[in-house]
Amino acid sequence: MSSANLHSQAYEVSDTAEAIEFYYEKGWTDGLPVIPPTEASIRAMLDASGLEPGREIAFIENRQVSVTAEKVAINAVMAGCKPEYMPVVVAAVEAIGDPLYGYHGPAASTGGSAVLMLVNGPLARELEINCGDNLFGPGWRANATIGRAVRLIMRNAIGTLPGKLDRSTLGHPGKYTYCIAENEAESPWPPVHVERGFRPEQNAVTVFAALAPHQIGNQLSNTAAGVLTTMADSMRISGSVTGQPQYAVVIAGEHMRVIGDDGWSKADIKGFLFEHTYNSIAHLKRTNRMPGTVLLEDETTMRPLVQTPEDIIVIAAGSKAGVFSAFIPGWGGKNASQSVTKEIRRP
Amino acid sequence: MERQIRVFDPTITPKEQALRYAPRPTSLRGKKVGLVENTKYNSDKLLLKIGKILQDEYGVQGMLLRRKRSSGVPAHEEIIRDILAECDVVIAGVGD
Repeated sequence: MSSANLHSQAYEVSDTAEAIEFYYEKGWTDGLPVIPPTEASIRAMLDASGLEPGREIAFIENRQVSVTAEKVAINAVMAGCKPEYMPVVVAAVEAIGDPLYGYHGPAASTGGSAVLMLVNGPLARELEINCGDNLFGPGWRANATIGRAVRLIMRNAIGTLPGKLDRSTLGHPGKYTYCIAENEAESPWPPVHVERGFRPEQNAVTVFAALAPHQIGNQLSNTAAGVLTTMADSMRISGSVTGQPQYAVVIAGEHMRVIGDDGWSKADIKGFLFEHTYNSIAHLKRTNRMPGTVLLEDETTMRPLVQTPEDIIVIAAGSKAGVFSAFIPGWGGKNASQSVTKEIRRP
Repeated sequence: MERQIRVFDPTITPKEQALRYAPRPTSLRGKKVGLVENTKYNSDKLLLKIGKILQDEYGVQGMLLRRKRSSGVPAHEEIIRDILAECDVVIAGVGD
């Protein structure tokens, strides 16, 4: 247990209600009330991650800000996290500080993205991070507060304030929280962290600068190709279209069984979606997504939605019932921001 | 009234940094201009137009146009290396 001093300025207030109002007045909330961070609750967060208060978790280059464990802990308390969530929040903050994620672009852009967090490994089940019913909706403390903690850190510690350094034109509700787990117990496929080189028993979080989820429905097909044809048709014109970002595809229960029963691997899914989401240059020009007049050869010149099949992240999650899945376009383009996976380390 | 709870500041104040501008030439005559294009549509046209004005009206001798990987990232190393090696001044900016 660390006995190092906390370095943050302390304020004295008379009770919890006054503290909540104080944090509003200071502009330190996302619009919802926060849990007032006391020394005991901050230290419980630090102890759960085995980190000293001054330990640097991420360095945000363009802001020249060093995000310390203490600030991560304070914001995690404010978000309503349990101490055992802290290692997940820490790993997510490490990940958004990775140069491949490219913090400044997705955080500041008018194109407005949120940080989608996918938690993999046994810890996701231990912490009861929802991977099932109402996947992106409310009702689970871990999902609600881990994602909220990261957004509060972006706001308070890094200065990503709406209208100032966050210039999103529209934003989306995932900016309150956007944290899910993969349904590893029932998935017919290897989980995302294993695809990315981790062992199944390791815990990892993947961050992805993501737009909102788009739900697709298909209740007619009992084949993998049938379900994914619907998915591809909905994906083809979505997100920034010509920017070639990465995509996440969330395949839920009934679709998961149909596709899995057909013997399709994640690589098959990615390959099929890659091949079926090309757009013709002519169409992109006619719909004002690319400049220039339509030339004869534009009718047969095709452009893929993503750069490679591996740029489609396939996640098994969502309710067992229902014939719905989702795709999530990434922000901007892969050249500016990529999904990043980090191990979640516990003391 | 007796104070009962101590709560902590969640923010970080970024360290102030002194920005240092590159020395400005007194004249552009005979100089070569680097143009850093940010990938947004028409940004190349705008920069080349600015470059042409600098050539026609200010005696600039040459231009070097380089394209960033994306508007959301800083210019990558090769761009900086080429411009350092070949140019006297540079024009860069983000715009749609």
